[in-house]
Amino acid sequence: MNLSNTARERLLVCWRWVLTAVVSFVILFPLLWIFVSSITPSHELFRSPINYIPEHPTLENYAYLFRNVGLGSKVWSTVVIVFSTIIISTVVCLMAAYAFVRYRSRGLTLAFAFLLASMLIPDVVTARPLYDFMRGVNLFDTYTGLVILYISAVIPFTTIILRNNLSSIPPSIDEAAAIDGATTFQAIVHITIPLVRPAMATVCIINFITCLNNFFTPLFYANSIQVLSTAITTLPLRDNMYAVPWDLVSAMGWIIILPIIIFVAIFEKQIMGGIMSGAIKA
Amino acid sequence: MSSSTAAPPSLSPGETAAKRKRTFLWAAWLLVLPALGIRMFTTIYPILETFRISLYNIKLLSGVNEFVGLSNYLEVFKDRKVITSVEFTVIFTAVSMAFHLLLGIALAMILNMKYKGQRFLRTIVLLPWAMPTVVIGMAAKWAFNNDYGLINDFIRRFGVDFQLDWLINTGTARSAVIMTDLWKDLPYFAILVLSGLQFISDDLYEAATIDGAGAIRSFFSITLPLIKKNVLTLTIFFTMWRLTSYDLVYAMTSGGPGEDTALIAYRIATESFTNLNLGYGATLAIVLFIVMAILSGVNSRLISKIDY
Repeated sequence: MNLSNTARERLLVCWRWVLTAVVSFVILFPLLWIFVSSITPSHELFRSPINYIPEHPTLENYAYLFRNVGLGSKVWSTVVIVFSTIIISTVVCLMAAYAFVRYRSRGLTLAFAFLLASMLIPDVVTARPLYDFMRGVNLFDTYTGLVILYISAVIPFTTIILRNNLSSIPPSIDEAAAIDGATTFQAIVHITIPLVRPAMATVCIINFITCLNNFFTPLFYANSIQVLSTAITTLPLRDNMYAVPWDLVSAMGWIIILPIIIFVAIFEKQIMGGIMSGAIKA
Repeated sequence: MSSSTAAPPSLSPGETAAKRKRTFLWAAWLLVLPALGIRMFTTIYPILETFRISLYNIKLLSGVNEFVGLSNYLEVFKDRKVITSVEFTVIFTAVSMAFHLLLGIALAMILNMKYKGQRFLRTIVLLPWAMPTVVIGMAAKWAFNNDYGLINDFIRRFGVDFQLDWLINTGTARSAVIMTDLWKDLPYFAILVLSGLQFISDDLYEAATIDGAGAIRSFFSITLPLIKKNVLTLTIFFTMWRLTSYDLVYAMTSGGPGEDTALIAYRIATESFTNLNLGYGATLAIVLFIVMAILSGVNSRLISKIDY
């Protein structure tokens, strides 16, 4: 410990960057490997050792996905489901959160507690009866049915975050608006909602990711409608004899991963804030 | 949840408002109804129904449902497949959580370092969390392949002739599943630990340094006690998620080799949807549900007990 202060300082800086490098490598390298695999033609892919710079890079795998696997329609159904879910769930949960903050009664407290507790019910416990029910009412394998279940999956988280944010807005603001002659509805639209807009943005961003990652719902409650997460598990084996169509899986994987990387890079602040503000601790 | 649910403290100016609120309570229920309705429909009804069919022996083909009482529940303890599933679920959860705690806290401290790379590192750490587990599982299935996989290729670059088909042997397949789970979820755990870590003031560490405490001493005397409660809650939540993990095994091993990596959630889905043992699948589901309920009960007890 007879290092001078500056030397220690430098060692510390070095150490930090070493740690950064290790963590980044562990996380990013597999992603790079997926990307490289996706642009490697099949006959080069099944080789050992792995060639991280393909000799003949190609987009053939991607073209195949669009031409033969109907990637376009899968992207489209994902977009339809995810965006309907985000819009409807935000409206529905904002309404509920508003009621939970501005009104009180025993029943409402109980209802909120139920929403919280319901987060812990595993999908697999409810799967079979829900599956039979969805079939019974002809909602199985429909966009309506899927959107309802997707919404259900994000309701607890969304309501909690919005409620926490709304509760930091004093009701006197509404009352002031009421004195100025605004109806409750006007007060909500022009005063309350603008104030929770940042929280709504955070919730939408995180729900976007949650919905994109939802695999259980489309797997069990749909058949012909395929979203990206389910489509990747049913890719055809082309000309290789291995159990995994890695050429297509890597291309499809990258199609899912790339937008996520961009999205996360743009919204890092909001996502961090959202996760930390009580996704769990609520 | 009581803190912000409590009535606004100023009663005198808002007394008329309070009265109005009572009269308009129906409006509140109207606002809550869509969210509550959807949620109840997708949870309460199916759970009751799951419980009901767990008491039956359901034969889909003949359409005869025979009431068997609790005999499905007794079956659970004799079923080799279930015992294997429970065994792996326990191993998976325990090992994974041990590493979550060790490496997760370490990673959280790395993320809490104040330096130029902070934002970059935080962005990177969000990536595994943001990606669908299935995609990671599919990639992992290939990454652990003996001949062409990423893992063995990496090991071989150090000059060792390493041959191992990870997903074929029980022990290595199980390790591979756990490693993949860690890659996917450990960063998320670290971010959540970080949320507690952030609020520890630097002054505390400076004071400790002045008092002659080293880094290790500071960690055990300052950091750990202050994040203890947060970490404990997280641990229980993450444990519960491990117990219900489905996607990873579905994509990566399909429960194999044999049934050795079939986590309990995977076992339940297989019984209910593939083997069409509806009653038995429901029984397993109810048992899992009870375990979850106990854990969350323990969680809320612990939270109310532990204080700084």
